[in-house]
Amino acid sequence: MNRKFLVIILITVLTGALLSGCVDNTETKIQSTPDNAVTSTPAQTSVKSQELEGTITLSGAWALYPMAVRWGEEFTKLHPKVKVDVQAGGAGKGMADAIGGLVDIGMVSRDIDPSEIEKGAYPIGVTKDAVVPTINAKNPSAQEILKTGIKKSTFVKIYINGTIKTWGEALGKPEIKDEIHLYTRSDAAGAPEIWAKYLGKKQENLKGTGVYGDPGVLAAVQKDPLGLGYNNYNYALDMKTGLPIPGIQVIPFDVNENGIVDPDEDISTKEKTIAAIKKGVFPHPPARVEYFVTKGKPTGLKAEFIRWTLKDGQKFLDEVGYIELSKEKLDEELKKVE
Amino acid sequence: MFSRKLKDIIAGRLMLAAAVLSSMLVIIIAVALYLRAKPILDVKSIAELLLGSTWMPFQGEFGFFPFILGTLYVTLIAMVIAVPLSILSAIYLAEYAHENVRTKVLPVIDLLAGIPPVVYGVWGVLAVVPVISYIAPVIGNLGIPFLTVKGYSTGYSMLAGGIVLAIMVFPIIISISEQVLRAVPFDMREASLSLGATRWQTIKHAVIRIAYPGIAAAIILGFSRAIGETMAVLMVVGNVPNIPSSVFDSAYPLTALIANNYGEMMSIPLYDSALLLAALILMLVILFFTVAARLILIRIERRMAHG
Repeated sequence: MNRKFLVIILITVLTGALLSGCVDNTETKIQSTPDNAVTSTPAQTSVKSQELEGTITLSGAWALYPMAVRWGEEFTKLHPKVKVDVQAGGAGKGMADAIGGLVDIGMVSRDIDPSEIEKGAYPIGVTKDAVVPTINAKNPSAQEILKTGIKKSTFVKIYINGTIKTWGEALGKPEIKDEIHLYTRSDAAGAPEIWAKYLGKKQENLKGTGVYGDPGVLAAVQKDPLGLGYNNYNYALDMKTGLPIPGIQVIPFDVNENGIVDPDEDISTKEKTIAAIKKGVFPHPPARVEYFVTKGKPTGLKAEFIRWTLKDGQKFLDEVGYIELSKEKLDEELKKVE
Repeated sequence: MFSRKLKDIIAGRLMLAAAVLSSMLVIIIAVALYLRAKPILDVKSIAELLLGSTWMPFQGEFGFFPFILGTLYVTLIAMVIAVPLSILSAIYLAEYAHENVRTKVLPVIDLLAGIPPVVYGVWGVLAVVPVISYIAPVIGNLGIPFLTVKGYSTGYSMLAGGIVLAIMVFPIIISISEQVLRAVPFDMREASLSLGATRWQTIKHAVIRIAYPGIAAAIILGFSRAIGETMAVLMVVGNVPNIPSSVFDSAYPLTALIANNYGEMMSIPLYDSALLLAALILMLVILFFTVAARLILIRIERRMAHG
């Protein structure tokens, strides 16, 4: 009898333990080591003279992942006793982890929601990125499209309203009857969100066949001569040659709507894209700032790391495929961590 | 002496605890999902959620109907393709094939079961999707119901999902059915053949009749594998939350919905509970089919026992 009782108690306890795991535990504070390690070091000025030590943990957006990994490697070269641990998992996860204190820095590749700031998110813009519309290089109207570009209102009619269904309608040449094979991202992410924002809506409003991931959309457009998709700029262009990936062309935005791609609207190569973004000709969105998010103002080691990415770290942006923030913007962001 | 008995008791109790705990896991998971899904159930009626067909979370529209249909259709297509093919191959391997062939073919089929779903997905994108986009206009214009093409098909379709799933399900159905068929006592075949029946008649009337419950169980196992598969389907199915009317249309299964959005949408409250509700619905759908399958199996067995 007694034993039966014991078994029942055992089961209840185990069940309770299991169930407790299911309840939202954003309140649980997992103390990250670097905070402790750093708060024990004296004032910030003396940190520099001392050797940095500890672990920095990051999680979040796929779009920022390659850059954060590179920054982590370079930072570790400078400070061998610092370990930088980067995990990808989506911007939402990065935000939740940062606010919940599970990681030091969350990587977020979309705009920060005011409700997230209220919860204690402290965003620092670290780099820029852009989403560009892509077509197959063998598109029968490719020449035409690259010459005239496409207006925002046309993109809205293609992606949101679905009223434009052929390439002819998109170019204002009804004699072209080729259908537009529309692709969008199936997974919720920063890129589709920013693309939808450019068109004034949310990701859920984007029409088209949903394909998983940036490489997925790129592959779909690469195979489909009538395909239209959108990709992160560092996926659509080869970062070494500066040209679009074979089989792909990037559609220029006809920003001033004069029906022709002006020299400063040209985004056919990496250099021209960067120039257009820096000049502000490239619409914003789909150009976007990518953020590091901390819970409250960063201190100690993580502040040191973020400051470094905003100063020396910026020189690695180009080769990994990101775009520098403007000088003023950089100074502004630096002030946030001083 | 005492320690021997004590060990026996402890072992017995521990195993009881383990068994109870693992059988309770289903309930624990269901309860946890329900608790997390509750915020949306408080705001929306169940009918509205299950039968609504608009999915616009940011505008407060959460209709799961396209996703439920997507899951069922894709699984159905997979089973329509997989069941006849795998049972015929199982019969061949068990009844006709030479020992040499069987020992070579079976390991290869088992190997199929070990390939990770992502690999199937990539293969589907590279091989199945282009073939479908190529044949879709040809078949689509014949005007056969469920095989029509509205406008164009990119190849990312329910059919692509069904084919990829069918191939993932093959090894399960084939290897189990083959074993079941081989377990049928040889006397049955001898008796049938001695009455002058041909090989096919023997298989049809004697062997399959006896192996029936086992084959049904194999199909059920394959079905539950198919309905829960996520990654491979998600990569080829097109993920458009519409009510599909043709196998060349895109669909959006529940598993894909969860996988596509979970990590990203956690900070938006109602979205989060909608996704967990999707998980709960998926679980209930699978539970429903598993129970139904069990009941059918019991009936078959009972009928066979009565002759």
